[in-house]
Amino acid sequence: MTPPSAEFDVRLDRVSKTFGAVTAVRETTLDIPRGTFLSILGPSGCGKTTTLRMIAGFERPTTGNVYIRGARVTEVPPYKRDFSMVFQNFALFPHLDVAHNVGFGLRMRGLPRADIDREVAGVLDLVKLSGLADRFPRQLSGGQQQRVALARAIVMSPAVMLLDEPLGALDKNLREEMQIELRQLQQKLGITAVFVTHDQDEALALSDRIAVMRDGRIEQIGAPRDVYERPANEFVAGFFGVSNVMNGEVVHVDPDGIDIKIGEAGTVRLSFAAEPGRRIRVAVRPEKIRIARSNASLPLKARLTDVVYRGASTSFFLELGGQTLVAIRQNEGGREEGLKAGDAVVCGWDPNAAIKLADG
Amino acid sequence: MTPVMRAEGNILLPVFAAASRSALLLPPLALLVLFFLTPLLYLFFVSFHAPSQSDLFGEGLTLGNYLRVIGDSFFLTIIERTMLTGALVALICLAIGYPAAFAIARMPPRHRLVALLLLLFPLMVSNVIRAYGWVAILGRRGVINSTLRNFGVIDLPLDLMFSTATVAVGLLTILLPYMIISLANSIAAIDPHYEEAAQSLRASPVRTFFHVTLPLSAPGMTSGLMIVFLLTLSAYVTVSLLGGPRTKMLVSLVFDSVVAFAWPRAAAFAFILLALALGVALIVPAVLRPGRVRGLG
Repeated sequence: MTPPSAEFDVRLDRVSKTFGAVTAVRETTLDIPRGTFLSILGPSGCGKTTTLRMIAGFERPTTGNVYIRGARVTEVPPYKRDFSMVFQNFALFPHLDVAHNVGFGLRMRGLPRADIDREVAGVLDLVKLSGLADRFPRQLSGGQQQRVALARAIVMSPAVMLLDEPLGALDKNLREEMQIELRQLQQKLGITAVFVTHDQDEALALSDRIAVMRDGRIEQIGAPRDVYERPANEFVAGFFGVSNVMNGEVVHVDPDGIDIKIGEAGTVRLSFAAEPGRRIRVAVRPEKIRIARSNASLPLKARLTDVVYRGASTSFFLELGGQTLVAIRQNEGGREEGLKAGDAVVCGWDPNAAIKLADG
Repeated sequence: MTPVMRAEGNILLPVFAAASRSALLLPPLALLVLFFLTPLLYLFFVSFHAPSQSDLFGEGLTLGNYLRVIGDSFFLTIIERTMLTGALVALICLAIGYPAAFAIARMPPRHRLVALLLLLFPLMVSNVIRAYGWVAILGRRGVINSTLRNFGVIDLPLDLMFSTATVAVGLLTILLPYMIISLANSIAAIDPHYEEAAQSLRASPVRTFFHVTLPLSAPGMTSGLMIVFLLTLSAYVTVSLLGGPRTKMLVSLVFDSVVAFAWPRAAAFAFILLALALGVALIVPAVLRPGRVRGLG
């Protein structure tokens, strides 16, 4: 094991957590460099919230260690750890007004009153809530409550700010607005942030790094572009909206790539390497699949089983070689070919667009 | 913060809905008006009359029944004792009840239910029986005195009965479950995220309790204090059996007046009692402000 370094604001070292017979987190190791916005992404029950709560100290790891700024805090109670947290339902104290909610942590730290007032005023200004200091949480809109929760966490200048699906309670438009604000604020202040979410769009929009979790394990960790473009496995690919997984047989190999045969549909060119004769699984994003009634450059024969108009785009459901694919095309107006269910079409994709999942 | 949803189509719809909901209140309302409010108003009317040997009340209106109470230190002492006992019992119930309620509130829901049911158990035993139980323990030949005499600690029996303290102890044991139940429900209803939020903001468990849990349990404290206080004001059996003739409360005065057929005076005492009860019902929430918990200031 390499010694914990202060360059990492948070370090999880082979941390596990079991609740009775249930294992929530398995042997997870995670380093979060200073200033990083890391999202832990996964379906419900994958262990992402438990991971966050172990950093906070609300859960004690069954095995392994937690470090904050290089100091081992595994047994340290939450109120002695250097973090702050934004909760899913905001958890604003209902009996305290905005100023007292935001100043709560500083008061607990024993700061002089004048300092607290100045810090609170400063952070309220930062989140654009200056006029609302004497309001109670109940008198605020969802977005304002969100900002108060954020201000309450920021004012502590923590080593790491933990966010437990804090945008989940907001409606869609407000959520996108808050995403941008949250990201700008985090970058401006250079705070290290760990953000738990099940929403892949949110994770992509906000993060420097994304850790995708499943069944208590981190399946892949990397920059948004990496996990999106180069998913490590079928689960990660699926989580980022790739439903198109195909089985194919490698029929030709040359230095530039391979040809694989997909059932009766035909053979298609892929740009990665594989051994001839192997069966492999590949994924292609719906927006990368091109379809046409006829086009010499599209090698696969398919049949349209359904066409779904979605406003900005249209989804085409294809059956080829006994497998089902979805292609999505942006609607550009006036360029409709009148494709409908039951039509025979051809389809294909750029050799670079396919993602190799596993040797089958 | 989900906005209140309203059917936009028919603006009369909510009116009808409200009206039909109010209709459900009619039967109990009618009962209350007929058998409580009307007699109460009549009693109020009675309290402004002189007593009569032959009738319920005598001729002519008078403030005499009320003025006599205010002018008589015997009555004032009893009123003071009544209020002090009520406050004492309510506050002691709060002090001993809170830790127990806290422990019950933090049990798993199934255990909590069992604990609350166990708390209701003593309420199944009549107050008369429980008061006599105290007599059997505290009386001149009670368990305490006979034990102490058998061990030669005392020669003459201690006078443990017929004091305000005896009444307070008797009421305390009867009323404690009410306090614990209202506190436990209130504490259990506090979202655990508030306490985690406090801890994430450097509040130790003790400070978390005083800054977050305690204020957020204000609704339970308010209802607990009010229930206990008001039940103390109207307790009769415990007061007369454990307090005896020396430690009378306001209710004893009502009873004594009724027994003496001084109906107007009994009515006046009843309304003084009611006024005090209303005062308590206004003061307790004003001090504890249970509305704060919902952010109402």
